[in-house]
Amino acid sequence: METKTDHTILKTEIEKMNSAVELKHLKKSFKDKHVLIDINLKLAKGENLVVLGKSGSGKSVLIKCLVGLIDADDGELIVFDKNISETSSDELNTIRKKIGFLFQSGALYDSMSVRENLEFPLRDQKKIFKAELNKLVEEALADVGLSEAIDKMPSELSGGMRKRLGLARTMILKPEIMLYDEPTTGLDPITSKEISKLILEVQKKYNTSSIIITHDIECAKITANRIIILKDGLLAAEGTFKNLEKSEDKWVRSFFE
Amino acid sequence: MSVIIQIKDKETESSIKKETFFNTTLKNFFLEISLITRFAAHFFIELLKPPYEFGELLKQSYLIGCKSLPLVGITGFIMGLVLTIQSRPTLVQFGAESWLPAMVGVSIIREIGPVITALIFAGKVGSGIGAELASMKVTEQIDAMEVSGTNPFKYIVVTRILSTSLMLPILVVFADVIALYGSYVGVNLKGDVSFHLFFSQVIESLDFMDVFPALIKTFFFGFAIGLIGCYNGYNSNKGTEGVGISANAAVVYASLLVFIIDMMAVQVTSLFM
Repeated sequence: METKTDHTILKTEIEKMNSAVELKHLKKSFKDKHVLIDINLKLAKGENLVVLGKSGSGKSVLIKCLVGLIDADDGELIVFDKNISETSSDELNTIRKKIGFLFQSGALYDSMSVRENLEFPLRDQKKIFKAELNKLVEEALADVGLSEAIDKMPSELSGGMRKRLGLARTMILKPEIMLYDEPTTGLDPITSKEISKLILEVQKKYNTSSIIITHDIECAKITANRIIILKDGLLAAEGTFKNLEKSEDKWVRSFFE
Repeated sequence: MSVIIQIKDKETESSIKKETFFNTTLKNFFLEISLITRFAAHFFIELLKPPYEFGELLKQSYLIGCKSLPLVGITGFIMGLVLTIQSRPTLVQFGAESWLPAMVGVSIIREIGPVITALIFAGKVGSGIGAELASMKVTEQIDAMEVSGTNPFKYIVVTRILSTSLMLPILVVFADVIALYGSYVGVNLKGDVSFHLFFSQVIESLDFMDVFPALIKTFFFGFAIGLIGCYNGYNSNKGTEGVGISANAAVVYASLLVFIIDMMAVQVTSLFM
């Protein structure tokens, strides 16, 4: 009963807050496979929302729909008060510049050095002078503790360093919304914890609203203000870490054991 | 009676299967052609739209052009040398040994130089582009470009197709010159012809219609190699396995297209001769 009350309070609070992202009746299928059936979701400004769910439950599809990498079949995807499925490609690109996306693999540009990787998102900002650009790159690297790697190639970096560099590249545009696709996958527990703390730091420093897709419960515990769990294309559970950890539903609890 | 019916059923089933296979293959073939045409149309649309990626174009031109010089040079030299050595005995038989520089010159400039260089280029650059773009796709680098607000088609595809189209003609001219030098070496293995005399004979034997159409078709070869490499890499969708498939398809189809374009170029050129 207590859990339900907490959950209701949380929902009311989210409703009251300004939303950065709002999904209404989002649907996505791949041929006969219905990945997202009816997703309704609000991400409040400054909130860290963790999305849990079994592999193949559509977590990554959800955030890829948000940046237009995958076209939704139906529903509204409202980001910065605009339905992105109805925007022109120029408008979509403007919106994308305010959204950071950390890919599972880091998605670093192999043919470019660390410096060039960081400069890449800023390349069409003609008004930035070289000295200013250098300062921004150095600052972004310092934020993730990678200052010494500035002239290295991505192939010379470890898994954790690649993730941190991916985060630095995303943060260089100072996005208002951050989407993390399994940020700690493939990392050892210590590095995973470092990345999770970094996500929290980013939220505090830049007041970003974030959606974090993860299987790592430790990461969810550190970063989440709210957690949702997807099952069979629907939103199966929602609440704070504490709520869901003590849920009466065995299936929900199994994520936290 | 029932055995005969069974055999007839099996024959009908097999003919239906054959027909279905034929239809599917034909359908896939035309579907692929339409997709490549759409990809090419997208290239021309993005080519004309600003902003222009001059920096990346220069970088790709250097990587595609300059880095191919040693391979193209060595191949060209061997091509000229071998052609001369192989042609010599036949010309000697007819007492036409003095025609060797002219014959080799025309063969190299008109046909062998452009086609062999294009095939080497398809093997080196086409496969490289196919594999590079496919691995960029697998490792989500293309998606990362897209979400950072950069148009990956313009940045990756347009610059590479433009580079291959511009660099191949230059490489063919380079390969032709080296091949003629190889031919000069070949002539002097069993004879004594001065450098000046050899090249004078070659240049005298060539006219505008030997050089110009040969050079023009190399732009199309370069375009086809870049287009097929980029198309296969950019549309790769089978994980790491797709990288190998894309690289392989890029070489095979680009080489085939080189021959088809060459055949069409010969037909068009013959209209003006």
